Amino acid sequence: MRGALKTLLWFIALGPVLPALAAEPDQPGPEEAFKDVRGYIVFKTHCVLCHGIHADGNGRAAKNYNPRPANLRLSDKSDRYKEMIIRNGGGAMGRSPFMPPWGQELTDEQIRDVVYYLSVINVNSKAAPKRGSLSQ
Amino acid sequence: MLLKNLFGCLMLALALNATAAEFEVGQKDKQFSVSHLKVKLGDTVNFVNYDPFFHNVFSLSDAKTFDLGSYPQGQGRKITFNNPGTVEVECAIHSQMKLVIEVEK
Repeated sequence: MRGALKTLLWFIALGPVLPALAAEPDQPGPEEAFKDVRGYIVFKTHCVLCHGIHADGNGRAAKNYNPRPANLRLSDKSDRYKEMIIRNGGGAMGRSPFMPPWGQELTDEQIRDVVYYLSVINVNSKAAPKRGSLSQ
Repeated sequence: MLLKNLFGCLMLALALNATAAEFEVGQKDKQFSVSHLKVKLGDTVNFVNYDPFFHNVFSLSDAKTFDLGSYPQGQGRKITFNNPGTVEVECAIHSQMKLVIEVEK
């Protein structure tokens, strides 16, 4: 009885706040929050060997490849293209066969996150970090 | 004279080939089947993928720099070691995979 009263009081207290939160247009959902940070972690774990920590194509293995790994900051490829080359590898896209296919290693969410991260760091990017991300 | 030299080179090549060994190193459960391997100059290592997903074996070591590319389960890629030294071998897809090959004279 006492518990029910307490819950009721909480609802009354939060009543004016909850609709305001729900109506906040820029508030990211759990799926969107920290998307660029998650993407950066994927990038740092799997991509820096060739593309480098700055995504400029100057990773520690880069000197061994011709063509060299892409400078992802300057890439003019679409997100869809990036998703496909990450998933299927360079050979499947008519690009460098040394770009591995990551489709069996990364989850769909990880691929989406890293593609989003690449769009954020691209010099031509129109993507802005979402509210709630660390890169604000 | 030229014929004699040619014959000598041929015999030397055959002799080297006869003494060169081939080793197999598997990739299973995101690990190399051995973590350390000693080979002699001219020996070959066949990297065979036993995992149901791709591996990409490579090395950036001075003694031997190579990249075998990405290959699926059931396939193997071979590399011959022609310089003495220590070769650190990795997988580009699974960074936890490490193997050291000592190439001896």
